Amino acid sequence: MLSDGFVHFVEYELQVIALAWLFVLYAIKILQLLRLPMLREKGPGKGSAVSGALRSYANIFLPWSMESSKKHFWRWVEFGAYHVGAGIAILNTFTSPFAPGMMTQPVRWAFAILIAPALLLGLVKLARRITRPEMRLISTPDDYFSLASVELFFFSAIMALLLNTPLWRTVYFLITAGFLFYVPFSKISHYVYFFFAATITGGRYGWRGVRPPAREVK
Amino acid sequence: MARGPSASEGSKMTTELATKELEKKYNKLVGTAASNMCAHCGWCMDSCHVYLANHDPEVTPVAKAERIRRVYKKNHDWLSKIFPFWTGAKKLTDEELQKWVELAYRDCTLCERCVVNCPMGVETPQLIAAARSALTSVGKAPEILTQLADMAISREENAEIYRDFFLEQIKEIEKQLQAHLGTTDASIPIDKEGARILYVPLSGAHTILPEAIIFNVARESWTLSMFEASNYGVFLGDTAKAKRIAERIINEAKRLKVKEVVLTECGHAYTTMRWEAPKWFGGPLPFRVRSILEVLDEYVRDGRLKFDPSKNSEPVTYHDSCNLGRKGGLLEEPRRVLRAIAQDFREMTPNRLQSLCCGGGAGLVAIAEWSEARIKAGKPKADQIRQTGAKIVVTSCDNCRHQITELNEHYNLGIKVTSLCELTVQALVLPDGAMASTNSK
Repeated sequence: MLSDGFVHFVEYELQVIALAWLFVLYAIKILQLLRLPMLREKGPGKGSAVSGALRSYANIFLPWSMESSKKHFWRWVEFGAYHVGAGIAILNTFTSPFAPGMMTQPVRWAFAILIAPALLLGLVKLARRITRPEMRLISTPDDYFSLASVELFFFSAIMALLLNTPLWRTVYFLITAGFLFYVPFSKISHYVYFFFAATITGGRYGWRGVRPPAREVK
Repeated sequence: MARGPSASEGSKMTTELATKELEKKYNKLVGTAASNMCAHCGWCMDSCHVYLANHDPEVTPVAKAERIRRVYKKNHDWLSKIFPFWTGAKKLTDEELQKWVELAYRDCTLCERCVVNCPMGVETPQLIAAARSALTSVGKAPEILTQLADMAISREENAEIYRDFFLEQIKEIEKQLQAHLGTTDASIPIDKEGARILYVPLSGAHTILPEAIIFNVARESWTLSMFEASNYGVFLGDTAKAKRIAERIINEAKRLKVKEVVLTECGHAYTTMRWEAPKWFGGPLPFRVRSILEVLDEYVRDGRLKFDPSKNSEPVTYHDSCNLGRKGGLLEEPRRVLRAIAQDFREMTPNRLQSLCCGGGAGLVAIAEWSEARIKAGKPKADQIRQTGAKIVVTSCDNCRHQITELNEHYNLGIKVTSLCELTVQALVLPDGAMASTNSK
C-alpha cells in the first residue's frame, strides 16, 4: 500500500529534484559547448545565414526537403508520431501534478491515444535496431537502454492516464524521475545539441547560398 | 648508445599523436555537437553513394562517423569516461588507426550528402576530415596525396626553374588560341599587373585554352596564374599545407593588384579559396573570389557572348560537383549557361542539393590502388547518367571528370564527358573579322 505522502513526494518533490538535476547538467554542457571554437564563415556571403539556420530548423517539418524523408515517407510519419507521443508524455509530467484541473477524462484519453502509437513505434524501432545489421552495428548498450526506458515511460504514462491510480501514478513518476537523471548522459540529449547544429550547419549552408535550395527540376 | 622506442612504445606514441590531432580538429563546437547529437537513427544510410553501391553496413555514414566518435568520446563524454562499454567508447589503437585509412580516404568522399539528409544535421564529413588530419599527422595518409600537396608547394619554391617551361607551354596554347580565333591579336597574358581577373587553371591545356577563347571573345581584362588551382592539402586535412598552397595564389593576386581571382572548373579549389581560405587567414581576402562558372553566367546574362545552341544539339546533362554545389552554392549558374548553349539540356534525378557524388571526390581519384572500389562506388552515378539518355555529361570539376570518364568506360555509358567551358566554346559565335582582346591593346 502506497502512502499519500510517498505518492505526493514522487509526483512533486522528486520531479523538482530531477528537473533541477537535468537543468544543471545541461547548463554545464551548454557552457562547455559555448567555450569551443565556432568556425564561423569569414568570406563574403552569397546568401543569408539566418535563412539557412531557419531552414535547417524547419527541415524536419518539410518531408520533401530531404531525400531521406521523401523517399521513406512512412519513416518520416513514424518519426513524427514518435516525437509527438514523447512530447505529450513529457507534457503530462507537468500537467498531471501541476494542472490537475485540465486533466479531465477526455484530455486523459486524448493524451493516451497520442502516446499509444509512439509506444508501438518504439517497439518497431527496437526490432529494427536488433534485426538490421546496419542498425545493430551502430547500436550501443546506451541505444538499447534509452529506447527501452522510453518505452517504459510511454507505457507507464498511458497506464497512469487511463487508470489514474496512485500505484500507476507512482510508477509513472518514478520512471520519469529516473529518466530525467539519466537523460543528460545518454543519446536522448540529442535534442539539445540539435539547436547548435541547426544554427551552425544551417547558417553555413545559408551563407553559402546552398540552402534554402533552388527548386529541383524534373 | 641511446635506445630507440620499442615497437609497442612507437605504436603508443603514434596513437597518442593521432588522438591529439583528432581532438585538435574535432574539439570545435560543431564536432562536439556532432559527437553528442547523433541519435543513431540511420536516416543517413542510403544517402551515401558508397553504401548504395555495396550495401556494406560498415560504410554507412553513421557507422564511419561512429568509429571516430567513439575514440573522441573516450576522453570527452561524461558517461564514456566512466563506463566506456556503455557507449562503445574506446582508446585509439594501431589496428583502429589502420582501419581509419580506408574509412577516411577510400569510403568517404566528404560529399556532405549525408549532412543534408540528416534530420539533425550531423556533420559527419567534419569528423572524417578530423580523422584524415589525425592520419596525416602520423604519416598514414595516402602517399600520392602528400606528394601532390608537396609538389604544389615546391612549384612556388622553384618558380624560376618552372617558369621557362610554363611559358613554353603557354606559347603553344596561345598558337592554338590564335588558330581557333583566326587572329594573332588573341593572347594569353601572364603577369599582367592591374588586370581585372587573375585566372587560376589546373595543369593541362584543357583548363586554359577554352577559358582563353572565352576571355578573348568577351574582351576581358585578365591574366593567367603561374600556379594551379588544386589544393591537396585540403584532402589531407593538413591546414598548414593547405594554407601554404592557397597563399601562393593570394600573393600572386596581391602582387598583380587584380580585382578578382577566378578559379577554373575545379570543385575543391573553389570551395577552398572562396569559403575556407578566409577562415584560415582571419577574414575576407583582399580581392573577390569567383568560379569561372559565375563569370560565364555573368557573360551570358550581360550578352557579352553570343551562342548558337544548335552546335550542341545532342542531349546534355549536368553533374553537380559536391564541392561546387552542395558545399559551394553554385547550383543555378551552370544551368543558366547550359540552357543558353545547348538545345537539349536534361537534369539528372536527383540533382542540385541532393546530387549523388561521382565516387571520385576528396582525392580518391588520384589513389590508383583503390580504383576498383572507386569505380564500384560510382555505380549509382553511372545509373543516374544512363537514365537521362544524355550523350554529353558536363561537369565542372576535374576530379569528377576523370571519374565519370572511367565510369563511362567501365559501365559502357556511351557518353562524352566535358567541361562547361569546352561546351561553351563549341556553341560560341565568333565575332566577324579579327578578334581584338583588351589584353593585346
